[in-house]
Amino acid sequence: MAEEGQPQQNYSNPLTAFFHVVFKGSAIAFYILCSFFVSSFIIQFVVTVLLAALDFWVVKNVSGRILVGLRWWNEIDDQGESVWRFESLDQQSLERLNKKDTWLFWWTLYIAPGIWLALGLVALIKFNFDYLLIVGICLTLGVANIIGFTKCRRDAKKQIQSLASQVVTGHMASRLQNAFNF
Amino acid sequence: STLTEPVSVTLARDARRVANNLQQIVVFNSNRNDPARTLRDWDLWGPFFFIIALSCILSSTASTNKSTVFAVVFAVLSAGAVSLTMNVVLLGGKLNFLQSLSVLGYCLFPLDIGAILCAAYSGKLYRSAMIFATLLWSSWSVYPFVSTAVRPSRKALAVYPVFLMYISMGLLVLA
Repeated sequence: MAEEGQPQQNYSNPLTAFFHVVFKGSAIAFYILCSFFVSSFIIQFVVTVLLAALDFWVVKNVSGRILVGLRWWNEIDDQGESVWRFESLDQQSLERLNKKDTWLFWWTLYIAPGIWLALGLVALIKFNFDYLLIVGICLTLGVANIIGFTKCRRDAKKQIQSLASQVVTGHMASRLQNAFNF
Repeated sequence: STLTEPVSVTLARDARRVANNLQQIVVFNSNRNDPARTLRDWDLWGPFFFIIALSCILSSTASTNKSTVFAVVFAVLSAGAVSLTMNVVLLGGKLNFLQSLSVLGYCLFPLDIGAILCAAYSGKLYRSAMIFATLLWSSWSVYPFVSTAVRPSRKALAVYPVFLMYISMGLLVLA
């Protein structure tokens, strides 16, 4: 999906940003309001958890890629060790990303599990342990994405730094060569 | 790189992975001697759907307290999967936590089928036979993964609790 050549003031990927927020928001809203609409706990549970799972997939696979150019996953290598894999766009593409997109992405990524934590405390105080189960699952999914993307961003920065230092040393080497050739 | 692929490609890749895992773990494993390689591509979406499905089916056929049944089944299955994995890890086995969660979840698939079939028809003998058959299928699927993860002397210790959990699940479906 190519970014549209719009001025930096607008969101350049409104559809993706919408999806990034809608599943998180509707999961939280449904959880809070569900007792007014649906009386069966099972439906509340399944719908909330389904929305949270959909949000996890969308953030990890779609909005992470498009809004901030990061991707993370976990692989098992031949020795049976689990390896985190990260992918990120190169420096120029990263800088060309829309600032509003990235701001939205990171803020909602951190705020949503915060809200779930607060809801979990409420459920704990009210001794609603089955609702605590729902909150626990949504919290786990949110935190998993936070950890994955934070690690990915750190890795991307490291890669950029190492690339920059490579470029610098390459320059210096070629300049030294030029100096010695005269 | 996967960064610039369209969304449909991502979706298709994940869907194919779930189908592949299901087929490998439950139906026919092309590398029976090397379960670690089968699990290379683990995912948790399959187990997620199977646990929800089993909890839904069991709660819909329960005569009373449907929501409690649902929550209890879900919690027991998840806690059971986690503790079974800890069991393998503590026995010194070399199985990755998320990988084994994935396997245990996929092996619930036969029980899902058994539960559906039992919900359809309620003859005592029929149900017992169905559950027994699907239980065997589950255990047969899960055995190679768990047994190769630990040393041979500890094999029984690792495998026994897994069978126990599936048997109790089967009894839950019967009841």
